[in-house]
Amino acid sequence: MFAFAYHRPATLIEAQAALAASEEAKPLAGGQTLIPTLKQRLASPSDLVDLGGIPALRGITVVQDLLVIGAMVRHVEVATSPIVATHLPALAALAGLIGDPAVRNRGTLGGSVANNDPSADYPAACLALDAVIVTDRRELPAGDFFTGLFETALQPGEIVTAVRFPLGGEATYEKFPNPASRYAMAGVFVRRGEGGIRVAVTGASQGGVFRWGAAEAALAAGFSPAALDGLRPEAEEMIADIHGSGAYRAQLVAVMARRAVARLAAAR
Amino acid sequence: MEFSGSHRINAPRAVVWAALNDPEVLRRCTPGCEEVVRVSPTEFTARMVLKIGPMKVSFAGNVTLTELDPPASCRIVGEGQGGVAGFAKGSSLVRLDEEGEETVLTYQTEAKVGGKIAQLGARLIDGTVKKLVGEFFTAFATVVAPQAAAEPVAGEA
Repeated sequence: MFAFAYHRPATLIEAQAALAASEEAKPLAGGQTLIPTLKQRLASPSDLVDLGGIPALRGITVVQDLLVIGAMVRHVEVATSPIVATHLPALAALAGLIGDPAVRNRGTLGGSVANNDPSADYPAACLALDAVIVTDRRELPAGDFFTGLFETALQPGEIVTAVRFPLGGEATYEKFPNPASRYAMAGVFVRRGEGGIRVAVTGASQGGVFRWGAAEAALAAGFSPAALDGLRPEAEEMIADIHGSGAYRAQLVAVMARRAVARLAAAR
Repeated sequence: MEFSGSHRINAPRAVVWAALNDPEVLRRCTPGCEEVVRVSPTEFTARMVLKIGPMKVSFAGNVTLTELDPPASCRIVGEGQGGVAGFAKGSSLVRLDEEGEETVLTYQTEAKVGGKIAQLGARLIDGTVKKLVGEFFTAFATVVAPQAAAEPVAGEA
């Protein structure tokens, strides 16, 4: 590692001040991406502002028809929370599939959405559920928050404080994990509710998480796995790397989507 | 990796060609570029900061214009060293075609990224490089013809 100043503020206001003090300051959530990056010296921030000591960023609550999860809530807490299991079981199941136990014990919801890794699981849930990302400055629908590969609408120094998930309807997540990293090779989150059918895909596209409009339209006409026959995203737009070609990922997306729809249809 | 794209620029070919040889234009159009210095009529040194997610790596390198056929085409060759992070190198064959008062810029790019940055970011590098090169030519088209924002004609992987 290299030298940097470590801050552990107890309030959001102190955290904002610490981040504003240097252009090269970075917020630290669970550190499951940032710490390995620092160890490899692929980033060298002057200051790390650890958000782990701020009580306002914690907690899982239901407020009317919204499930509100604090940004610093760890994956294991979402996976095992009775509140999440009751109100949004698909999200609890998704959290239980992230990485391995070490990652789930440290990694956080806020860290995951702020990083917007194209293979992360939470962005698919946020997009399919039409969640609202709450920051210390504003509130953004997930569709406006995720703007591309590792890119979000976050401004320098802006801190994600919570995510609000609308309740109601039915949802499920199907994921084909890379066997080594457990990152999604393709992950498809399907929600069926009052606002219609939403299908969000992670792990596959070069542009990061996206809504699969063609699948949504097909499912609106008839909600069954057969409605998706022959549909798959454009292979050229999918990630091609040592783990799989674009065509392979496009096929995985189609298969994961059919499985998700089959499971939702069977559960009725 | 190899990819290509093209842009229609609302400026005569001679103007576009001159801009392609202007270090200040190159600096303004390259994402994360901090400095471009001309060391000879066809050679430049450059510094840029590459940001991919949590990574932020400074590259120092050089850019050479070869296969010059003014004002119709040239090849832009670049390579950069990012210290412990790795290296990046590549080239773009750029062709300028006159269409009335306008110019159609077509590029074919091949690029290679190696070292630690490529190992850690293997699933991200291709998409990122394509995006950066696309941003460069989009910005270039806008800088050269500032009155009318250029429209991308087509881009394909």
